[in-house]
Amino acid sequence: MKCFRDALKTAKCWVVGHKLRAAVLGAVLLVVAPWPAKAQFVDPCCAIMAAGLASISSALQNVIGGGLNQILGVDQSIQQFEQNTVWPQNLINQARALVGGLQGIFNQIQSLTQIRVNSATLPNSQQLEANLLSRNANQIGQTSSNYTTLYGQVPTTTDASQQVRDMVDMTDAAAQDAMKRAIEIDALSDLELQAASQINQSIQSAAPGSAPIIEAQADAWLVRANAYTQAATADLMRLRAIDLANSSADIKMGATNSTNLRQQLMNLLQHN
Amino acid sequence: MHYVTFVLFGLTFTWFMVSANSSRRVLAVTVAGILVSTMLFAPPLAEAQGGLVQAIQAVLNVINGMLKSALTAINTARTALTALYQNSVWPVQLINQARAQVTQMINQYRALMASILNMNLSSATLPTPQSFETMMRDHRVNNFNSLTQSFGNTYGAIPTSVDASQADRDMSDMDDALTLDSLKTLKASDNATDLELQAANSIENSATQAAPGSAPFMTASAVASSIRSQALTQKMLAAELRQEAAHIAHQNGFRKRGATFTTQFRNLMMNLLQHN
Repeated sequence: MKCFRDALKTAKCWVVGHKLRAAVLGAVLLVVAPWPAKAQFVDPCCAIMAAGLASISSALQNVIGGGLNQILGVDQSIQQFEQNTVWPQNLINQARALVGGLQGIFNQIQSLTQIRVNSATLPNSQQLEANLLSRNANQIGQTSSNYTTLYGQVPTTTDASQQVRDMVDMTDAAAQDAMKRAIEIDALSDLELQAASQINQSIQSAAPGSAPIIEAQADAWLVRANAYTQAATADLMRLRAIDLANSSADIKMGATNSTNLRQQLMNLLQHN
Repeated sequence: MHYVTFVLFGLTFTWFMVSANSSRRVLAVTVAGILVSTMLFAPPLAEAQGGLVQAIQAVLNVINGMLKSALTAINTARTALTALYQNSVWPVQLINQARAQVTQMINQYRALMASILNMNLSSATLPTPQSFETMMRDHRVNNFNSLTQSFGNTYGAIPTSVDASQADRDMSDMDDALTLDSLKTLKASDNATDLELQAANSIENSATQAAPGSAPFMTASAVASSIRSQALTQKMLAAELRQEAAHIAHQNGFRKRGATFTTQFRNLMMNLLQHN
């Protein structure tokens, strides 16, 4: 304490003795002494910033918020329209249920096509009939031999003229072609029924957006089915054309035979 | 940090000031102190307040200019899209009109067409053909044996081996078999046709309550039904092909046998003439 008092006394003496130095020292220390920072609330810079932020906030609320709210309102109305009018979930479920119900009907149709209709009673006809109703394209190879067993072979050159032999062979060929086509068409229609069932099952688990894709596939199958029907119709027309040609050939051959007979009778009468 | 620096500076400056011997030194220490204090305690450069105002104004300009324009454009586009959906693509009025049209057409056509299709076409006059005709048109698939029986009653049985050659018996049996096959196939087809009509009615009934989003399910199902319908038509065509093929094969069989008989007859005549 005494030292401190002595130090103060010495300092006082020095200040009194060196007034100018003491003044310079005090002034420099006063200037460089750190002062507490001013509060931001009263700082004019912060006041400007606060006003600016308030303006930004107001603009965000009015301009951006208002605009977004309007867009939200429009979007909500679109959503309601689409949910209630365009894609109502209950009607979509109802449509799926309908497809499920139709599958039952289609299964009945498919089982109807599987019913056996074989009716022949004798061995040869039973064999040909079994081949024709087989629905198995791999059995087409046996059709010709079964056919020949039942309907006989083309007459030999001794038994018939070349014209008759050609006609008989062509008729046999058309008949066998048609029978083979019938086996093919049966096999194809079985596959079509199978594909139609698969498509129907896909529809049951489809979404409104994926159903048109399945529909496109079904359309393609329909086009294909039409092509098969046309192929069968073409063979039917060929068969009828051959039938008509045979009728015509009978007339032609009848005329030739009559002429030949008349000629031979004339020769016979002349010889007598 | 500032306080520590200030204390250090203050002590050093005071020591130099106290220990200075002459006025010149005092002046030098004072100048040096001011310079050092300027370097140590120089305040950071204050930013101009005008820059802050400009920055805030720039943000406000972006909000009121670009963002407002963008939001207005989006809103306009969405509103136009809504109008397009509701007025052009899926107008509720036309949707209801389409549903009403389906209902109206059901009422107009369904019963009429069903009555036309179900008209009685039976034309036989004698008991046996009447029975056969009824049986082949009854759409049933569980009476094929009766159909065969009835067919036999009307068209007769296959000749016995005493009455006809094996070739004739075979051909006759094949003709009968393919006729019966076709008739049985047609009974099944008739039944399937009934089911197809049932399916068509179900689809049409559902269309009366369909929405644009549920209609593709019905369309796809209807197309699948069309494939089935084609398959059934093909089955009928296949039966007709078999039948027609057997028909011309039968005629051809006669030709073949005619050739054989002619040869046999010629040989007989030759033998007869030679014996004479």
